[in-house]
Amino acid sequence: MKSLIYLLLGAILIISCKKDLAPISGCTDNIAINYNPNAITEDQSCNYFSTTPYVIETPYGFPDMKIPSDNPMTVEGIALGEKLFKDPILSADNTQACINCHQQNFSFSDPNQFSTGIDNIQGNRNASALINLGWNTSFNWDGSSLTLEEQAFEPVTNSIEMHNTWMNVEQELNSHIDYPFLFKQAFNINYIDSSHVVKAIAQFERTLISTNSKLDRYLKNEEQLTISELNGYAIFNTEKGDCFHCHSTNMFMDNLFHNNGLDIEPFIDIGRAKVTSNPLDNGKFKTPTLRNVEMTAPYMHDGRFATLEEVVEHYDSGGKYSTTVDPLMKKLGVGLQLSNQEKKDLVAYLKTLTDNEFIGSD
Amino acid sequence: MKKTLLLISAIAFLFTSCDKDKAIVTDITINFNHTVNGSELMTNSMIYTNEAGENYDIQTLKYLISDITLHSENGSSLLLDEVHFIDISDESTFSLTYNEVPNNNYTSISFDMGLDTAKNISNKYVNDDFHTTMFWPEPNGGGYHYMKLEGAYNNDSTFYNTHTGGTMGADYSFNHVENISLTVDNDLGDVSVNINMEINNWYNSPNQIEFSSYGMGIMMNMMMQMNIQMNGITDVFSVTVDK
Ligand code: HEC
Ligand code: HEC
Repeated sequence: MKSLIYLLLGAILIISCKKDLAPISGCTDNIAINYNPNAITEDQSCNYFSTTPYVIETPYGFPDMKIPSDNPMTVEGIALGEKLFKDPILSADNTQACINCHQQNFSFSDPNQFSTGIDNIQGNRNASALINLGWNTSFNWDGSSLTLEEQAFEPVTNSIEMHNTWMNVEQELNSHIDYPFLFKQAFNINYIDSSHVVKAIAQFERTLISTNSKLDRYLKNEEQLTISELNGYAIFNTEKGDCFHCHSTNMFMDNLFHNNGLDIEPFIDIGRAKVTSNPLDNGKFKTPTLRNVEMTAPYMHDGRFATLEEVVEHYDSGGKYSTTVDPLMKKLGVGLQLSNQEKKDLVAYLKTLTDNEFIGSD
Repeated sequence: MKKTLLLISAIAFLFTSCDKDKAIVTDITINFNHTVNGSELMTNSMIYTNEAGENYDIQTLKYLISDITLHSENGSSLLLDEVHFIDISDESTFSLTYNEVPNNNYTSISFDMGLDTAKNISNKYVNDDFHTTMFWPEPNGGGYHYMKLEGAYNNDSTFYNTHTGGTMGADYSFNHVENISLTVDNDLGDVSVNINMEINNWYNSPNQIEFSSYGMGIMMNMMMQMNIQMNGITDVFSVTVDK
């Protein structure tokens, strides 16, 4: 009891000092988001919970984005998500933010083969580029998460990434000078919990949309491709190169899992089978989008290829046989038999998928 | 209070008794079945042989059936579904149900294998499940694959892809019509219509097709698209009705 009185006295002292001993005025309505419990006189400054809806326009050749009904997109939620994504407060020792492994100038991926977490431990998978995620039906190379909200829980507590606990994150955020108000503004909550942290991050991730590449402008008749790029376009989109069956549509991915002939058995990383426990899924990985692929080196789930030229060599070789290799790799053993010029053309085409605006260098 | 309750139950009773005199509705379920040489398809096992003598297995089968329509004696028709996507790896795609079929004397059912020119347009079905899996690239005519049939032949590491579609914008979809006798009246009840695809017949008569020559792809091969279409028209589909 006594300590409470001291505390109160202390609080009054601090507040009165701040306000120059003037009578405390502020918002006195307890349902307002800026309700000030210490205010005595109402100063008409009350703000009430109201968010600004954010509409995602469907890019040409994309389906409408499916947004979870319990996490509608708002300007406030997205801004909060972006702040969280870039804030090392989510990691145990406040040194690592999501953006450290998902760097914007590398299309939100990591230029290192394996990312290093706060404890200086490396994983065994290459950090995915975060592009057009709102159209993915699963996340991570093996599809282990089904929503962006669910995915965002992982890196925070993963011992080889941010190695934090959600209890600790909640504590730090709730005692932060900005976050309580920002969460109140975005979600109208008084206590910040993990589920709202991931909701905000997911909202931000859904805005990472890249559809302004040279190829997009070509398809809209706004820019011409070079002869070499056009040759690459034809190789990619016919059974000659046969890239389109997996890297399909304007999204350049099919939301499915394939074994594209990288390895013979036994697989070091069984990929999709980790999630499904089905041996027919051994060695299958989610088809990554090829948008901005120029910026997302190194390539494949384990970052084994440093350059696009190496990737093209892999496909040109026809790939390696294993029991789960996809029948779409139908030139296995024979190879695509591309000429040196055709390989260059294919790489040139892949580079037309670069969106400089998206990576923030336009 | 009691009185109103009584009244309500009396009215409710009246309604239900009326219902008893009402017609039984007929829901039609269309089932898509798949056989190879007459027995039910087993994926991922190399137990099949085509007319050319090649052993093969089936790993992927995805296809589009469109304009599934019932035709009646009096000339009217009933569209059951515009486009249906079947994927052998997803059982939920093996059937579709049309509720409350109007009373009539239906004498035939028809459907298209694939999409005709009016439907086979890039991005027309952008919000449908099959958009990403079945899309057919612009440089090759645009639109959608009608069918993807894939697997290995002769040994586990040589593959074939039989992908049919509108090569260079040509229309290789085809219509299948089957006479049935189906009188939907007040007491028929639910009905199943089974559409069977005999997979081996895509490769046999009138045109024998070898994987060793065409396994690596026929998407740009108009001649082969036509040959397979002809095989399809001949004897790939059959229909039975279970009342
Ligand atoms: C230490 C580096 C590291 C940090 C920090 C990190 N990530 Fe990742 N991220 C990865 C790696 C590696 C993968 C691939 C994991 C896999 O497939 O198993 C990945 C995958 C993802 C994916 C899946 C993308 C796709 O296309 O499937 C998303 C989304 C993602 N991270 C978001 C985040 C968010 C949000 C944060 C911060 C809360 C974060 N990451 C922090 C390394 C990191
Ligand atoms: C059978 C499906 C399939 C085909 C065909 C295919 N890919 Fe891929 N591609 C994948 C999958 C799956 C991955 C990821 C594999 C992994 O990481 O283990 C991938 C990865 C890639 C990557 C690396 C992307 C990254 O961010 O790491 C590039 C580049 C690529 N493919 C280009 C091509 C090109 C060019 C072609 C045609 C010559 C092609 N692919 C054909 C399925 C396919």
